Amino acid sequence: MSATTFRQRAAIRRQAAQLRPAVQLSVFSIAYLKSIAPFLGMALVLALGACSSYLDVQPRESIADNATIVDQQSSLTALNGVYSALGSSGYYGTSFQSIGYLGGGDIQWTGTQSQVQEFVSHNVRSDNSTVSTVWSSIYLTINRANHVLATVPTVTDPLLTSALRNQYLGEAYFIRGLAYFDLARTFGGVPLILQPTRTATDNQGIARASQADTYAQALRDLDAAEPLLPNPTTLGANDRYRATRKAAWALKARLHLYQGNWALAEDYATRVINDQANYQLVAPFNAWFANNARGTRESIFEIFYNGTTEVNGHRGNWQPTANGGTRQWAPNAGLVALLTAAPNNTPNGRSTLIANLGTTWYGNLYYRNPGSDPSYVLRLAEQYLIRAEARARQNKLADALADLNAVRTRAGLAASSATTQAAVLQAIEEERRLEFALEPHRWFDLARTGRATAVFADPLSSGAPLPAFRLLLPLPISQLQVDAALAQNTGY
Amino acid sequence: MLLLALGLPTATQAAHGATVLPLLLADEPFSGKVLDENGAGLPGVTVRLKGSAAGTATDDQGNFSLAGVPEDAILLISYVGYKTQEVKARRAGGLTVRLVPTQGQLNEVVVVGYGTQQRKNLIGAIAKVDPSDTKTLPVGSFDAQLQGKVPGVQISSNSGVPGQAVNVRVRGATTINGSNTPLYVVDGVFINNNSLQTISTGGKATSPIADLNPSDIESIEVLKDADATALYGARGANGVILVTTKRGNFNQKPKVSVDVSQGWAKAAKLWDLATGPEHATLVNEYWLNTNGNAATRPYRPMSEGGRGLPEEQPTFDRLGQVFRTARLQNYDVSVAGGNAASRYYLGGGYTKQESILRPIDFQRANFKLNLDQKLSDKVQIGVSNTFTRTYRNEGRAGDGPAGGLLQAALHTPTLLSPYDESGRLVSRASFDNVQLLIDNYDVNSTSLRYIGNLYGDVQLLPNLKFRTSLGVDFNSYDEKEYWNTLLIAGAGVGGLATSSNAQYTSLLNENTLTYRQQWGKHRVGVVVGQGLQADTYHRTFAQGTGFPNNSFREISAASVTSSTENWTGYRLASFFGRVDYNFDDRYLLNVSFRADGSSRFGAANQWGYFPSVGAAWRVKQEKFLQDARWLSDLKLRASYGLTGNQNGIGNFAARGLWSGGANYLGVAGIAPQQLGNENLKWEQTSQANVGLDLGFLDNRITLEFNAYYKYTKNGLIQLTEPATTGFSSYWSNAVEISNKGLEFALNTVNLRSAGGLNWTTSFNIASNVNNIEKLATPIQFGSRNLILQQQGTPLYSFWVYKQLYVDPQTGNAVYDDVNKDGKITAADRQIVGSIWPKFFGGLTNTLTYKGFDASVLVSFQSGNKVYNHNRFFGEGGGARDEARVIFASNLARWQKPGDVTDVPKADGINVNNYLDGGSRWLEDGSFIRLRNVSLGYTLPESVTRHLLGGTVRLYAQGTNLVLLTKYTGLDPESASSSDANQQGIDLGTPPQPRSWQVGVNATF
Repeated sequence: MSATTFRQRAAIRRQAAQLRPAVQLSVFSIAYLKSIAPFLGMALVLALGACSSYLDVQPRESIADNATIVDQQSSLTALNGVYSALGSSGYYGTSFQSIGYLGGGDIQWTGTQSQVQEFVSHNVRSDNSTVSTVWSSIYLTINRANHVLATVPTVTDPLLTSALRNQYLGEAYFIRGLAYFDLARTFGGVPLILQPTRTATDNQGIARASQADTYAQALRDLDAAEPLLPNPTTLGANDRYRATRKAAWALKARLHLYQGNWALAEDYATRVINDQANYQLVAPFNAWFANNARGTRESIFEIFYNGTTEVNGHRGNWQPTANGGTRQWAPNAGLVALLTAAPNNTPNGRSTLIANLGTTWYGNLYYRNPGSDPSYVLRLAEQYLIRAEARARQNKLADALADLNAVRTRAGLAASSATTQAAVLQAIEEERRLEFALEPHRWFDLARTGRATAVFADPLSSGAPLPAFRLLLPLPISQLQVDAALAQNTGY
Repeated sequence: MLLLALGLPTATQAAHGATVLPLLLADEPFSGKVLDENGAGLPGVTVRLKGSAAGTATDDQGNFSLAGVPEDAILLISYVGYKTQEVKARRAGGLTVRLVPTQGQLNEVVVVGYGTQQRKNLIGAIAKVDPSDTKTLPVGSFDAQLQGKVPGVQISSNSGVPGQAVNVRVRGATTINGSNTPLYVVDGVFINNNSLQTISTGGKATSPIADLNPSDIESIEVLKDADATALYGARGANGVILVTTKRGNFNQKPKVSVDVSQGWAKAAKLWDLATGPEHATLVNEYWLNTNGNAATRPYRPMSEGGRGLPEEQPTFDRLGQVFRTARLQNYDVSVAGGNAASRYYLGGGYTKQESILRPIDFQRANFKLNLDQKLSDKVQIGVSNTFTRTYRNEGRAGDGPAGGLLQAALHTPTLLSPYDESGRLVSRASFDNVQLLIDNYDVNSTSLRYIGNLYGDVQLLPNLKFRTSLGVDFNSYDEKEYWNTLLIAGAGVGGLATSSNAQYTSLLNENTLTYRQQWGKHRVGVVVGQGLQADTYHRTFAQGTGFPNNSFREISAASVTSSTENWTGYRLASFFGRVDYNFDDRYLLNVSFRADGSSRFGAANQWGYFPSVGAAWRVKQEKFLQDARWLSDLKLRASYGLTGNQNGIGNFAARGLWSGGANYLGVAGIAPQQLGNENLKWEQTSQANVGLDLGFLDNRITLEFNAYYKYTKNGLIQLTEPATTGFSSYWSNAVEISNKGLEFALNTVNLRSAGGLNWTTSFNIASNVNNIEKLATPIQFGSRNLILQQQGTPLYSFWVYKQLYVDPQTGNAVYDDVNKDGKITAADRQIVGSIWPKFFGGLTNTLTYKGFDASVLVSFQSGNKVYNHNRFFGEGGGARDEARVIFASNLARWQKPGDVTDVPKADGINVNNYLDGGSRWLEDGSFIRLRNVSLGYTLPESVTRHLLGGTVRLYAQGTNLVLLTKYTGLDPESASSSDANQQGIDLGTPPQPRSWQVGVNATF
């Protein structure tokens, strides 16, 4: 102990000796203070001056928003961002799709999140979180498309050839057109936002357009997209994952069908169906989705996910816990009975849309793990059924039946026995129900034809039919609260 | 400190004892002098001869003279407000005794911003907490231990998992989207108190504060009003918690302290669940009530194709599987000492606390080294070092199905067997199998933390001191998850492993000049300083799926891997100063100012300025009160000032940003991420405080009273953007929030008898009223939007459908139809209560008698609401069939006309009777909690003399022994999320356990 103490003391003495000059200075206090005052002052000035650069910390994971789309490369990456939004979980990833099938009467709710039940029971409330998510996700997609549409034309870069520029703009127009079409069929008329949001005050306080105007905007965008989009004779490797002119035709066929423009619907569907070099109804039925298929010849436009950096979480809502899902919803007993019994129980037929663990049935269209299932937006079978319906509406019953039977044949089913116009239309409706059993069509089909009021009951009044106002969903109450220009759909 | 003071006279005598002096006669009066802590003579001090009735009192100068004192007799020297001392009566060299004030008294030294102050000269509202009596509470972090101890500070443990984040609110909450947690300063270092956790434990977060060993803490000061906090400027608005760790003393013999305790913890109660038959009965009833056909009811005889009759259903207990009697262990060793020029404190500790919820535990090993060295009379350097390794076996104790321990155990219907037909363990109702979870859970985190401060003090002039300090808070945070294919999270992906490593580094340099001068009755102190702080966060993350089999756990074996990297940081530059002025110990004035520049804000608004002024009048020092012996203290205080808040927002919140990661077709994509707001600036809180300090009967009774009004402008908020913009929100200064409240503290010495029986009581109670004064659009928060922030109501108000009653005729729930449109829609949701209690506080009683000591702490709060979300799920009225458990409380449902109950008939979810967001599950969260009872016995000296001559205390401690509440869940403090905006929602959370500990504390 004493040795340590001695060493310490010696050290203290040494250090004290070294410090002595400073200590002595302090004795001459005023002089000392005067001598250091200028230095203190200078230090302060230096410190203040240096502060502005000291306080400039730049982010590394993001970039400033004032110079984002400047050349060909950034134009392409910004366009990828639009596709990414289209495939996000709130839009075609899961939520928007769920609106299309949950309300179709064939899906049951098996989880706990009651917003799901509201679709199943047709009692959607304005505080439903899916409604809010979908509304926001679609407008997010629109804003990204608007950025591309507003900025890419101004980019000067030799690498951005006019062909590429047209393609990028055409794709953005296509996606925006799809977005407004989806908004119109879900909510009716919505605010039409055509410029990008650059400041916090942009793009709000805009009243809803009518449903007709919203559909018209969708059509304007598709009209703009059509000539800009490439129209390859033979589709390339990624051409089913990106918008092409053929995809624009297919979407126009659907849009015209929704609007009752039967001839136009027939015309555009025919353009796609006739492109047999590129499109065919693949057989057996499940060849378009089973065994990790993607980008098949059935597909006109599907959203791509690689399962790692682009994940489709849709499977989680369908698959049972044993497969890593939550099975929030599942095919109901009625649908299971239809799909597992004759005539639909053909090998590799529509019954493969569902699977079972013991007595527990679950949807199996989205099954890949990690989630790399495509989101199917437009496929050829729909074009046949669009044309069938458009033809039936124009009383071209034989042609309509031919299209209907093309789809039935591929599913391993006998030809339809319908003969009257009404029976053919009913047969088409029924065909769509099963052909698209787990795809987002049934609810929108019954809503556009108005048949939902006959098929479904009023959730709040026993025995009454579904009130017509429920054919449109409510606007999210959270949006009504933040934007006074928005008015709620009647009935909600 | 005390030991040193006690030891001093003895040491002095020992030194003199070497000199041989003539013996004096015993019958000559013995005289001496008693000084106060400042060296002034102390009048009126009682001096008694131990073991006899003989005694006297000191005169005006502190001198005394007592006859009949034998040489080496023991004198008892006592005075109210000071520690009683026993001194050997030695005539040689004369006797001078310096008395040491007892705790909680006027001369107590209180740590304030960049300095210390005697309590009598305090102007601000500062609570000093002695952590010694709660430091063994088995909760992990010291802040969680302080519940009920500090007036105006509301502390809620969100769960019973030790070391998990707690909610600490000093005088309410000032912000919606910023952080409401106070600033923590440990030995001058601003430490990070945001959890670095990235893995999901269902909304829970670990507490970075748990990296500090409570045993190393000497004192805790909570700064509350503007006078106290303005010197912390931009970070002071939510209060400041100053932590001072233990140091040695100069000229102190090595003092070794050992503390070992062992304990056990258990849930006081568990949920009451419906049995299998009851569950089946309710499901059948639901079936019939919703117009189902009786012939096809789910639970009908198997022979009819059903699942068997209700009474045939089995019942399985899962709660018993996950809950256990948890073990608690704690070991602390420390050595403190010093010589004339240096002093040291060396501490080491290890604690392991199991959670009552398997398999979660919390382990902390720490090492502490504080050194101070005088280089000369004028220069002193020193260092504080805290090294900690905190290891946690993590578990998902919050929301969420995959890996959710408590949800799996609580929410799986009791009638479902954990086995399938072949006897294999299987998951049920989309929850993991509890046994598989317990056996295969493999999620852990390791926090390596260093908090250090190196300082140098130079006495430039006799009155002028320069101090420079360099502080570091470094935290390496490693997390690892492995989910094998037997668990939901790993099933289907062939096993899932993640690995995350994050480093948080905070560097701080501060330089201060302190000047003190006295002219006659005028005393002035000045502090000016400057500081720079730079924080960075960097994380790498890797994930792998597709393992060859369940024996492989490292990502290297995975077939699919992905990784990511994150970086963020901010800087702060500060200038500050304070002038305190004292006239004649009667009038006190404080003026302080701080300027903070932050990289988080737009260039135009980087700097914020935070002034404060405070004044106090020590009325007792006035002539007209000096004769009032009954009144020992009377002080009036007032302060006003500005403080700021910048915590809780992103480091780049002011900037318009685009981010990457919006990839498509495997090619990089970019997208708008955030709208910029170049005008973003500090949240600014002005606070006025008036206070009154009273002391009676020589401060045997002291009262402290504070009233305050805080008003926050420019509140930071992620203002909701209409979705048509493509954004959901942007950062703005658009909120105004007020907090006003009263705080009251009473400390009494009820008994202080010569016989050794002492009884003291501390009571505190506080009330805070919070209100959102300005908010353009309401914002929904929390699970299922249960919380709505809107103008005119308090923060964290519950937004629900108010159930009025259940119609005895129909069995239907009747809700308040707010807009009278005959329908119950979202427009009928209304604010019903909030998470704020009307009042809260604590009561501590301490008794000592000879070697025995006992302490009882009761904490309480009243008037707050808790949304019992477990019950929402458990009361599905049978509609959830076999997807969810049914709580026994659901059995009270309406069944036939005339039934009077508040539980409607079983007929489905979210249609009407079981509406998501119904007020039926919003409960009164008031409670009185017997937080802590400790009993100790210090072995008599006659025994310990043979054991190195130290003191040995044996103790036993019980925590949460009694909980009085109307809340029907397990713990009204439970919150499923650590997010400040989602408090008061109880889901899947283990309660704070009842625990018992025994221990021994030896000092020698």
